[in-house]
Amino acid sequence: MLEIKNLHVKIAAEDKPILLGLDLVVPTGEVHAIMGPNGSGKSTLAYVLAGRRDYEVTQGDILWNGESILGMAPDERAAAGVFLAFQYPMEIPGVAGLTFLRTAVNAVAKRRGNKELTTPEFLKLVKAKGAELNIDIDMLKRPVNVGFSGGEKKRSEILQMALLQPSLCVLDETDSGLDIDALKVVSDGVNALRSKDRAMVVITHYQRLLNHIVPDKVHVLAHGRIQKTGGKELALELEKSGYADFKSLAA
Amino acid sequence: MNTTVMKTKAERAIPEQFEAALPGLPGGAKAQDARRAAMAHFIDLGLPHRRIEEWKYTDLRARLQEAFVPAQKPPVTVSPEALASALGPFAAIACARLVFVDGRCDTSLSSLDGLVGAKVSSLADGSGDDHLAAVVGSAANAVAALNVAFATDGAVVNVPASVVLDHPLMVVFLSTAAVPSTVTTRCFLNVGEGASATVLEVHAQIGASAVQSNAAAELIICDRATVDHVKVVLGAANGVHLSNWDVRVGANALYRAAQLTPSAGLARNEIRINLEGRDSKFDFAGVVLGRNSDHIDTTMEIRHLAPGCQSRELFKTVIDDRARAVFQGKVYVAQAAQQTDGKQMAQALMLSPDAEFDSKPELEIYADDVACGHGSTCAEIDPALIFYCQSRGIPEAQARALLIESFVGDAIEKIDNPSIRRAMSDVALGWLAAKSA
Repeated sequence: MLEIKNLHVKIAAEDKPILLGLDLVVPTGEVHAIMGPNGSGKSTLAYVLAGRRDYEVTQGDILWNGESILGMAPDERAAAGVFLAFQYPMEIPGVAGLTFLRTAVNAVAKRRGNKELTTPEFLKLVKAKGAELNIDIDMLKRPVNVGFSGGEKKRSEILQMALLQPSLCVLDETDSGLDIDALKVVSDGVNALRSKDRAMVVITHYQRLLNHIVPDKVHVLAHGRIQKTGGKELALELEKSGYADFKSLAA
Repeated sequence: MNTTVMKTKAERAIPEQFEAALPGLPGGAKAQDARRAAMAHFIDLGLPHRRIEEWKYTDLRARLQEAFVPAQKPPVTVSPEALASALGPFAAIACARLVFVDGRCDTSLSSLDGLVGAKVSSLADGSGDDHLAAVVGSAANAVAALNVAFATDGAVVNVPASVVLDHPLMVVFLSTAAVPSTVTTRCFLNVGEGASATVLEVHAQIGASAVQSNAAAELIICDRATVDHVKVVLGAANGVHLSNWDVRVGANALYRAAQLTPSAGLARNEIRINLEGRDSKFDFAGVVLGRNSDHIDTTMEIRHLAPGCQSRELFKTVIDDRARAVFQGKVYVAQAAQQTDGKQMAQALMLSPDAEFDSKPELEIYADDVACGHGSTCAEIDPALIFYCQSRGIPEAQARALLIESFVGDAIEKIDNPSIRRAMSDVALGWLAAKSA
């Protein structure tokens, strides 16, 4: 279970508070959507969960299965099961996709006390998981994300997620930059990972993604806090009324 | 105003060393004359210093406190095992091999099997005399002049027209001297029309004595020839490596060159390429790795003299501690060289705030229909990339290593021959895994 308690976050380099006492509980086995206007702190929440250094937690705590993860480095969090699918996946020129995946999979296996995969085992796994996401091995021989289309980058993120078998998946605007077909492939990939042992936080601007990845709960994030929580129908309401109600809160 | 510059200790010692060495140097009267002329030229010039524009970042006069004596003939023979150990990952490459120990050809360690069709001889047997004599007139820089004056040996290779060499030729320069010594070698490679060759130049050493090496290579690449030319300096922190490459490229030819210089102490690699025939291609990949107080300078000039040629240079530097790397890259486009396509990129990764990268890209263009560009970057490892790797479970130290490796790998990937590429990569990885002193 993910428990976020009274979380206050600012950008480390400046005195700019972004999250102002955010509370959120996502039980294991559930998928929760976080929606909200631009600049409300959605991506900040995603980065803070993954442990990006540019953000500083000034108050509050984040507990994953009862333990605080704030003191953990990003790679330790990954080993503990946290996975962030980036809104803008990074390009790593010169590092072949397969090398990157294998390094990551084995680093995590080692930390979790599992056996590292041999090359044939690894390739077999990548081929199987890749096929589900329309990713062939040739694409992974290229440097990580370099020259990939928006859709390819997002599919590559979901492949990483499938390979690392996280228990807490955070998807940051996974729908951005996707056409309808790609959205379906990516959503199918995410849905395949839905499980009673896994919690998911799906961050999005639009209701569209939630037609494919149907959430158990929808939260509206604005002005650094969760302003409203409801069922999946809340997303449909927002689609009609927009975020105007929440924007006016600030005034 | 006429000023007399005080000669340094090294500048005073060099002419004396030359007089002592001359009777023992190979070549007939023609070569002797060339050597004397070169020494006279050197005495005029002195060692290059920072007031000479091209040596602004590498003050050789100040840095070369002492000129070591020319290396003596090695007293004991080198075993194949000792050679293999000195060559590291390069030992395993299947190739023909010419080995020069302390500047002299060692036939027992050399093997020209597989080099069918090429004529291979050495400077020491006199086959380079005409060539030595021809160089002097153009020996503009002091290091090149010293090379002509002192060269003891080197490969003289002629690949006749249309001959395609099946195996690479590895030319090894191995230093074994027990006392600090200077090794001077000079190679000459002529690749005939439509011929093809891969030449790998490896500078290595056995033992811990300081070595000053002065290595020159001259290449003539005729029309429609293909040449791959790779050099690696497996030097030591107390070493000095001075090198000149002079390459002339004919029409419709392809010349691919690569250099890897990991922690060679003080190094200056000069590369001059003349693209003399039309529609030729030149591709260069350079990697410099420096730590502690290494100072590694790469100075290149690509001269587009004929229309329609393409040149590409990718130069990667990784520097740590107080190390300093210099890149001077000039692309000259003559008026006749219309439709020139030249691109140059020099990138440095700084691992320490005390490291220094001096980058001087230059374009000099006299033609009006060209596409030329250059870029230079200098940065630390992108923290966002480290975070991305870490978020996938890769620990920070491993993420940094992976990113440095990939930065360098970009250039090494350009090497066409897979076994040479792998060996270059292994040397780079070995360097990355080692620690600063």
